[in-house]
Amino acid sequence: MKVMVPVKRVVDANVKVRVKPDNTGVDLTNVKMAVNPFCEIAIEEAVRLTEAGLATEVVAVAVGTSACQEQLRTCLALGADRAVLIETDEDVQPLGIAKALKALQDKENADIVIFGKQSIDGDNSQTGQMFAALAGMPQGTFASEVTPEDGKLKVTREIDGGLQTISVSLPAVITTDLRLNEPRYASLPNIMKAKKKPLDTMSAADLGVDVAPTVEVVSVEPPEERQAGVKVETVDELVDKLRNEAKVIT
Amino acid sequence: MLEALDELFSPGCVTRAADDLAHWGRDWTTAYKAAPSAVVFPKSIHEVVALVRWAGSHGVALVPSGGRTGLSGGAVANHGEVVVSFDRMNAISDFRPADRLVTCQAGVVTANLQGFATEQGLSYPVDFASSGSSQIGGNIATNAGGIKVIRYGLTRDWVAGLTVVSGSGEILECNQGLIKNATGYDLRHLFVGSEGTLGFIVEAQMRLALAPPPQRVMVLGVPRFADILEVLSAMQARLVLSAFEFFADQALAKVMAHRDLQSPLSARVAFYALIEFDDDALEEATAVFEHCVASGWVVDAVLSQSDTQAGQLWQLREAISESIAPFTPYKNDISVCIGDMPGFLDAVEMLVAREYPDFEVCWYGHIGDGNLHLNILKPESMDTQAFYARCHEISPKVFQAVAEKNGSISAEHGVGLLKRDFLGFSRSPAEIGVMRGLKGVLDPHGIMNPGKLL
Ligand SMILES: Cc1cc2nc3c(=O)[nH]c(=O)nc-3n(C[C@H](O)[C@H](O)[C@H](O)COP(=O)(O)OP(=O)(O)OC[C@H]3O[C@@H](n4cnc5c(N)ncnc54)[C@H](O)[C@@H]3O)c2cc1C
Repeated sequence: MKVMVPVKRVVDANVKVRVKPDNTGVDLTNVKMAVNPFCEIAIEEAVRLTEAGLATEVVAVAVGTSACQEQLRTCLALGADRAVLIETDEDVQPLGIAKALKALQDKENADIVIFGKQSIDGDNSQTGQMFAALAGMPQGTFASEVTPEDGKLKVTREIDGGLQTISVSLPAVITTDLRLNEPRYASLPNIMKAKKKPLDTMSAADLGVDVAPTVEVVSVEPPEERQAGVKVETVDELVDKLRNEAKVIT
Repeated sequence: MLEALDELFSPGCVTRAADDLAHWGRDWTTAYKAAPSAVVFPKSIHEVVALVRWAGSHGVALVPSGGRTGLSGGAVANHGEVVVSFDRMNAISDFRPADRLVTCQAGVVTANLQGFATEQGLSYPVDFASSGSSQIGGNIATNAGGIKVIRYGLTRDWVAGLTVVSGSGEILECNQGLIKNATGYDLRHLFVGSEGTLGFIVEAQMRLALAPPPQRVMVLGVPRFADILEVLSAMQARLVLSAFEFFADQALAKVMAHRDLQSPLSARVAFYALIEFDDDALEEATAVFEHCVASGWVVDAVLSQSDTQAGQLWQLREAISESIAPFTPYKNDISVCIGDMPGFLDAVEMLVAREYPDFEVCWYGHIGDGNLHLNILKPESMDTQAFYARCHEISPKVFQAVAEKNGSISAEHGVGLLKRDFLGFSRSPAEIGVMRGLKGVLDPHGIMNPGKLL
């Protein structure tokens, strides 16, 4: 059984991002980049399937600039067997990524494709779903548990206010929720081994897909600055402020 | 007599409520019962001066109080003292970019100074797990160290100027930000590490560092204690380290249980070293790792792949204090020169195995600075007082081993109440005599934190 895991290179979750002065986007100069946290969970899940003897090959894929090789190497260190970079300098968006991955899937024929449920940069939560539609595959989104069962996947989904369990036939698309697993750290021996694992590069054009953006960002605004808190001296003053300024009690 | 406090301070800045006395009367130590007679919150230097003059003429003992994260009982008030809290003197009042100097009141929380520095594109590099609560005044009064000492030094190294109200009620402005100032005794350094026994630190000029380059964190598994030092010297021979910390597996187990974290390595190892270094030294660090494996010192290691992961790996070290706190730890904070470490480690390990066979022992520390935290955990069934009494009996033996290496019985936590009776293991009678003499000059009425340190 082959598992494909698309991973995205995003701004490190620890970085406090700044909006560019002209409001066209987030300033990425000298900003630390990392594997999208939900994609880390996807890799971990795929590697665990291999360790459990259920999967035979894990392929990590990124769509983006050559810099994505860094994140693919991380995935190889975490246990992926090989990696593919679909290289493009376009500002890739969910639809373009989904199309490129669909073209790759036509060659790879993976049995399970595991996406992160969303990437922390665009927060789109669309790529897995679009890919499933393009590839005509069933999808188990926002998964907090995935168990192979009788040639199918039993998927527990995190839904508003509860859990839903579904069964999907293979080949299938999974998108990972936060609670699916806790990703491991990359060990140094594995990082060194990863340097020798295959990482193939192809262009979007090689695959015959157009990944040009279809959505134009008009403007990006930073969130409004929170006003500094005030210290009150007495309980009466607090009650007064809650009643008359914040108007949260009557 | 304490009614006079109401005249010295504005309303709401004096409290005698039982809850407040219990809260502000103690620090992070749990061995002492808080029993202050009042807590005051000055808002200006002049209020501090007026308080000190009044206390001097009435013989009222004062306990300077910062973030109360101290680990030696320095900020404990257990004899009817008046606690003087700097919680309301917490303004950052000036920044001079050309000198990279920040002027802050004593009550500025360490993390706020760090945050301010980051906003200026600079850094305040002194850091430890308590920086979210500790105050600059408290850091200076204890000469706090922390996790980046190996590269950036101690709090002392970043104090460029101090405004102090001495125990005699005088305002002393010690070295106002100058780099060079060869005009006699540098009184500033007398107050660094003085544990509130000479006067109140009311304001400080802190120097900032340049922002650090991107960092990497590596956690290495080291089966034998002594090999940690081999790893340290191998690393230091080839790269500039920003941190070199170590912890034993017992400490890791407590953190994993407390914070619900996974083990960093695929198999558990007796000891771990956590190192941080510049990202561009990664190749060197990897080469040293290979050398350490080939030498049999290290069995495995993980490397942070993002700043987020670096933070997660740091948690394994930084959450130790907090995770062992429920076990009423008896803390030893000892140091020797790095060169003396190997023999010292053997001696202490044997001693601990012999003297504490029935207690759980938890080792960790800033081993790159020659600083070990040896924590003895209280068995659940044992009474706290009995436990402390037992530890107090064994401590002299540990301290004797420290003294034999000319080491320190308190590397960075201070002496306070907890180590006062053991000061003689690290300081000669002549030195202690001079310390008393200095205290007599700056605190003639003996009102500044009496019973602490000396
Ligand atoms: C989880 C944890 C981790 C820690 N890690 C480290 C570490 O890595 N390295 C380290 O060095 N320490 C560490 N500490 C100890 C502690 O945080 C430091 O000693 C810190 O500097 C104390 O600052 P504070 O503001 O809390 O001082 P307090 O505890 O309030 O006071 C400490 C001493 O300073 C005096 N003092 C306070 N403010 C003033 C003032 N304005 N003028 C004069 N005297 C004053 C007090 O009287 C007392 O003697 C740790 C503590 C905890 C709880």
